[in-house]
Amino acid sequence: MRCLVVEDEPDIRADLAQALRAAGFVVDAVADGESAWYQGDVEDYDAAVLDLGLPKLDGLTVLRRWRAAGRAFPVIVVSARGDWTEKVEGIESGADDYLSKPFQLGELVARVRGLVRRGAGKLLPVIGIGRLRLDTVRMTATLDGVPVRTSPLEFRLLDYLAHQSGRAVSAGELAEHLYGAAESGDTNAIEAIVARLRRKFGSELIQTRRGFGYLLEGA
Amino acid sequence: MIARSLRWRLLLAAAAAILVALAIAWAFMTLLFERHLERRLEADMTRDALALIASLRLDARGAPALAVEPSDPRLQTPAGGYYWQVSNAAGTLRSRSLWDSALRVPADVPATRWRLAARRGLFGQDVRVLERSLILESDRPPLRVQFAQDAAPLSTARAEFGRELALFLAGLWGVLLAAAWLQVLLGLRPLARMRGDLSALAEHADARLPPANLREVQPLVDAINALADARHKDLMQARRRAADLAHGLKTPLSALSAQSRRAREAGAVAAADGMDRAVAAIGLVVEGELARTRVQRMGEVRGAVTRLRDVVERVANVLEHTQKGEAIAFDVDVPANLMLPIVEEHLAELLGALLENATRHARRRVQVRGDCGEGWTRLAIEDDGEGMSPERRAAFNAVDARADQVGETGGLGLVIARDLAIAGGARLDLQAALLGGLRAEVCWMNRARTG
Repeated sequence: MRCLVVEDEPDIRADLAQALRAAGFVVDAVADGESAWYQGDVEDYDAAVLDLGLPKLDGLTVLRRWRAAGRAFPVIVVSARGDWTEKVEGIESGADDYLSKPFQLGELVARVRGLVRRGAGKLLPVIGIGRLRLDTVRMTATLDGVPVRTSPLEFRLLDYLAHQSGRAVSAGELAEHLYGAAESGDTNAIEAIVARLRRKFGSELIQTRRGFGYLLEGA
Repeated sequence: MIARSLRWRLLLAAAAAILVALAIAWAFMTLLFERHLERRLEADMTRDALALIASLRLDARGAPALAVEPSDPRLQTPAGGYYWQVSNAAGTLRSRSLWDSALRVPADVPATRWRLAARRGLFGQDVRVLERSLILESDRPPLRVQFAQDAAPLSTARAEFGRELALFLAGLWGVLLAAAWLQVLLGLRPLARMRGDLSALAEHADARLPPANLREVQPLVDAINALADARHKDLMQARRRAADLAHGLKTPLSALSAQSRRAREAGAVAAADGMDRAVAAIGLVVEGELARTRVQRMGEVRGAVTRLRDVVERVANVLEHTQKGEAIAFDVDVPANLMLPIVEEHLAELLGALLENATRHARRRVQVRGDCGEGWTRLAIEDDGEGMSPERRAAFNAVDARADQVGETGGLGLVIARDLAIAGGARLDLQAALLGGLRAEVCWMNRARTG
């Protein structure tokens, strides 16, 4: 597993690299935006940790350039600035996760592992049902080719329904899949997620079969 | 009100100036008319006097005698208003109109020209007297020829003329006042246009006044734009300083956390605990100061209209990408047409603090509901976590609650959110949520808008 660490503060950069190496990653560490853009553009990484406040080229610009060039590896953005506009811009520029400084190294390593795990072991990277396309590596969804933003939880629900081959799935089964067996009795959150997905994709995407559960129709 | 109004001041000044000018014009024109009347009178009396002199002769004693008397009927009527008198040392001839009176003969009657003089006393009336001295025969004493006419007709004519002229000038004053009002209106129009442009300037920090059409107004436009530039520069510097402060303090804090971890790994657990507490305390202060900076920024930038649901969705999208947030279902039900007159980034700060707090404490679900009524907009954020005790909610809802009074972990975010809400013209209240956790309700009064 290769991970790129982009951080201008030497102590933090060294700590990040050390913690990720201890977790089994092969780490490249750079200190400025231009080097980060070059490294991410020419090397293949499984994940990147990107500070936003960088010399030479700011982190958001680096991220946008990577995504514009088709570099799809997961990126965790870290920043000392805590304002929400920057967080929103970071996520909308293509970041997969966001951490504010100061953070616990253990949390960051766990997040990187989680992102890498999402994209691993997928036999079918893209699932298509009707007008709906799910990219299970990038965890992105499109409807008629138009990207639709989903949360990880929403995507996991869609992904699970997509793998059921036209079978109606009960809310309890979905809750068990999303939250674990102990939480399968609480289905209110599932109803909320389905309601949000219907708002985003249209009411025809997920049909309710009374007495059976939810069915993905692909609109 | 009038004293503070430029328009009224200009109008009053114009009215007074025009009035004084017209009064002077009235006095001068009346005087000219009076002099014209007197010249006409002098010409008439001179003509009659010459006719009288033509028929004048001296008798044997040297006294004046008249072959033909002037025919004007006023001269035949006693006190008829028109009189003549010819006199010398040998005798006096006078018109019938003089009756038993006589015109006073001054000692200095000119011999080379006619003189018109104002006299008083003849039948108790003011008169104008035309007189001169002349020699009919060289060896006889000179004659004093005098014609007199009542001044009353002159005064009457002058008064009538003055009255009619005053009426005319009063009308002219009204017309000129209307013209002055129009002039002031047109003259102040650039200021009214500038007032509209200034409103745009207040609404948008980046807006500037457009170039003025009038050369005289342009220096004012330039000065205001320079002032706006200076204020914008100050604002940008303050924002940059806030960002620099955050970066400057939080990055070393991360480094300190790393040192703490290394110290803990090396067995110095007590030292690591102390460092962690110090880092947490400094972090608390930094977040508080940054929040205050954001509150100040919120006060400095006005205008803009933001769609509430869009901001909720964008902030929820960020939280869905966090470790805790990715397992939380965000149930957003905010009408799409709900608008607030707040800059989007400031609304994002407020909603970010509230939603982050709800996400931190939620078990599975965060519910966001928005609604509005006559003059108010409300946003309620609920979580299904353990909630907050009534005592802590009451402590928070008290006006001066501090972070340490509502708990260290969630308190700061809520106190920041409350400061942001107050700065944005809203009120934040904590209540028990139907979902089981905490309900944070933000209410904007008199700022509701739909679009």
